[in-house]
Amino acid sequence: MSQKLSVVGKRIIQPDAAAKATGNAIYASDITIPGMLIGRVLRSPYPHAKIKRIDKSKAENLPGVEALITPEDTAQWKKFDRGLKDLPMIAGGYTVPADEGVLNERARHFGDAIAAVAAINEHIAEEALELIEVEYEELPFVIDPEEAMKPGATQISDFAGSNIGKHMSYAFPEGDVEKALGEADCVVEGTFTTTKQEHCTAESAAAVARIDISGRLIVWSQCQLAHLARREIAHIFNMPVRKVKLITPVIGGSFGQRGSLCAEPICIALALKTGKPVKLVYSREENFIALESRTGFKCNLKIGFKKDGTLTAIQVYMLGRLGGYMGCGPMASAIGMIFGLGHYRCPNRAGEADMVMTNTPVSGAFRGFGNPAIMWGIEQLVDEAAEKLNMDPLTIRLKNIKRAGEIANMGLCLESTYLEECIKRGAKAIGWREKWGKTKKGKTRRGVGVATMTHCSGAAPLYLDHSNAFVKLNEDGSADLVVHPAPVGQHIWGALSQIAAEELGIHAEDINIVTGDTDVTLFEYGSDASRSTYAVGNATLMAAHEAKEQILARAAEMLDVSSEALKISDRKISSRTDPKKSISVAEVCYDAIYNFKGECLNISGKCSWESKWNSPPAGAFFAEVEVNTDTGQVTVIRFVTAMDCGKAINPMAVEGQLEGGMQQGIGYGLTEDYVINKDTGVVETDNYDSYKMPGILDMPKTKVIIIDEPDPKGPFGAKGVGEPGMVGVAPAIANAIYDAIGVRIKDLPITPEKVLEVLLDLR
Amino acid sequence: MKQIATFIVNEKHYELAIEPHMLLVEVLRDELGLTGTKHSCGIGSCGACTVLIDGRPTLACLTLALTVRGKDIRTIEGLAQGTTLHPIQKTFVEHGAIQCGYCTPGMVLSAKALLDKNLNPTEQEVKHALSGNLCRCTGYIKIIDAVLAAAEAMSKEAHP
Repeated sequence: MSQKLSVVGKRIIQPDAAAKATGNAIYASDITIPGMLIGRVLRSPYPHAKIKRIDKSKAENLPGVEALITPEDTAQWKKFDRGLKDLPMIAGGYTVPADEGVLNERARHFGDAIAAVAAINEHIAEEALELIEVEYEELPFVIDPEEAMKPGATQISDFAGSNIGKHMSYAFPEGDVEKALGEADCVVEGTFTTTKQEHCTAESAAAVARIDISGRLIVWSQCQLAHLARREIAHIFNMPVRKVKLITPVIGGSFGQRGSLCAEPICIALALKTGKPVKLVYSREENFIALESRTGFKCNLKIGFKKDGTLTAIQVYMLGRLGGYMGCGPMASAIGMIFGLGHYRCPNRAGEADMVMTNTPVSGAFRGFGNPAIMWGIEQLVDEAAEKLNMDPLTIRLKNIKRAGEIANMGLCLESTYLEECIKRGAKAIGWREKWGKTKKGKTRRGVGVATMTHCSGAAPLYLDHSNAFVKLNEDGSADLVVHPAPVGQHIWGALSQIAAEELGIHAEDINIVTGDTDVTLFEYGSDASRSTYAVGNATLMAAHEAKEQILARAAEMLDVSSEALKISDRKISSRTDPKKSISVAEVCYDAIYNFKGECLNISGKCSWESKWNSPPAGAFFAEVEVNTDTGQVTVIRFVTAMDCGKAINPMAVEGQLEGGMQQGIGYGLTEDYVINKDTGVVETDNYDSYKMPGILDMPKTKVIIIDEPDPKGPFGAKGVGEPGMVGVAPAIANAIYDAIGVRIKDLPITPEKVLEVLLDLR
Repeated sequence: MKQIATFIVNEKHYELAIEPHMLLVEVLRDELGLTGTKHSCGIGSCGACTVLIDGRPTLACLTLALTVRGKDIRTIEGLAQGTTLHPIQKTFVEHGAIQCGYCTPGMVLSAKALLDKNLNPTEQEVKHALSGNLCRCTGYIKIIDAVLAAAEAMSKEAHP
């Protein structure tokens, strides 16, 4: 597929960038409405406790307090699944029980919401929290999932007979793994653990809710899945969907965390109770303890190879820690298995996972969603096998990666893949041949490492991957594009403008994005699973195509030629054969709207798009590290990400996604550790003084390589690129450490203490 | 008890009655409606609330408002001239240095404090100047590019 493109592929400036640069962008936490109250939440200091009694009187009597709600007040509303994801899927009719109330009479984790107040300002709201008297009955608690699975462990959920919230099986099993492992020439195995990484969105979770004059509920929500959130909110608060209007403001970071309901339910409850507008902004500490963060896993992995390096079997068991509520954590294992068992050709595959409830803050979706956890082990084991088989880590990967035409990770045909190019070009950029496998001496030792991976472009066929786009042409040839992806910073408005403009033959700046209001936008699944450019992009492309056909038909009539003979570009329609016959898009659109010949038409196109395909992006990650053998300190000095994400609609935006993923991957690999005190259940890392995400000085020299080859199914050849950039970072670092000092770290994050410990063991 | 104090923000004088415990970030956001100054960690670890006080980058979430009355307070809203962006804002926009944008005001102001003193910084000097500002989206790569490009543009402007 080669197409001459005039808008797609350009490094255009984002429509919202100037407003963000000047402080004029309005985020949820910036909103003020006349008469607005400020909400605050009282949270459990215990990991597991029954609320025996709440004395509200002192707090309620504090001047300026307008409402105080407790579990008793919120019992009238339905329990919910904050993960919102009960869409049909192929992996066995996955549903999550609605196990969480707006407030709960039994605290199931440190930081669980017990009560909430609305007051005329935040100082009074905070003072009121201190005046609420709660009598708790402390209950036995369990932090470790293995302990939680033992008979007699304290029971956390109300619905399951044990603490195993969900058992998941790999969706695409094949062959006979036990037999294949028995027959393999080389078997590598190990247990790899990962931590509960926090999203650290720059803006905290925030929501604003008010009731309008007709009794409708208006909610400013950061949710990545606005339409699903509206449906769930209507369900929780016993309202028809038409009574709820959800507005998506500018969102200050998300990375999967806002894929679930966050501050919305409590904020809405306070607004309903007071009848007044309420704003609820979580503190940074609440972001750490009250929201979902990455699911921590223990993965037992076993991989078999033939002598010549051919991979024959992969067996996976994942044990995941869900926390006090189900959230969307269970899916992290399903996704992890699909991707972990997906990018290598492998005739024998099996995987099982237990997702276990514990008295810890809830787990959920975070960039990569289970994929980084499983690749952390798989990619280290592949290196181990390469060493045993006396092969180069690149060679063993090149031998086993899937090629175009094979069955991809989601059970669909792999229409295009350029992972081989990623490996080769990335290796060259890091200086693999000169650096890898050399004998290292001295106090500080350098090494290079590689990891490869694949991911997804949308949720099909696991979830119902449904997007809508509507485009209408204005009388001056500009267009309004009505869509509702979540603007979380990924430059989606720009990408969709480029797709629509390319198809309509106009310029990207001619497109006005109409969005963020469920009253106006058609149904949109939302922004997760690296799907917005791919799925909303395809909806946009098809809607624009429909409008273009109308433009061409009317232009053909106006020019008195056949519409097949016409081309459209640079805001002009012209005849391919007779260049003199030409008319502007604006003239056609104006004539259609102000038509005095009885043929009025607002040129427009609409597409209800359901993805039937999934074009997996794939990439190779290369790290160069320096290890101080005296201190165990690991420094990443160079990092290369080479990515096949199809045609880059805007290379600058794609680079941004991959560079950001790199940073989150380096944090996941080296410094970010979510620490829960085993004796008290208290979260000890609840702000940036104790939880270390990489700063500007922690970033290495970086290079991003975009392969930029179009995929047959993506809009103008694009694939998803939001998530893949962080997936292979940590294992590439671990493999580089092995190259430097000959030891493997299997437990994330790779702290100096862990490195030193294995080095001392070696001595 | 509230006190009357005069604040000079972006060269405009404001007389306000404020509680002595109020933080500068609250006065800017809640009293003056200048929500470009962001609140994020609340403990001075992330730099989202950075403003310039007499040209020096200062964390508004740790600054008691009354301690800066009468001083020259500069927020992100005071950088552009009408609709013309400040060169640092312009390069942030053009280089794709803005994703979610929530850290951007603080980043831009930290960069301004650097470039107002040093129009020819090295990459390392840029990194040190921004080391108090956390960003979760960009990996900082395009932010560094943008600041270096702004330095070049401002330098050309100063010495044409």
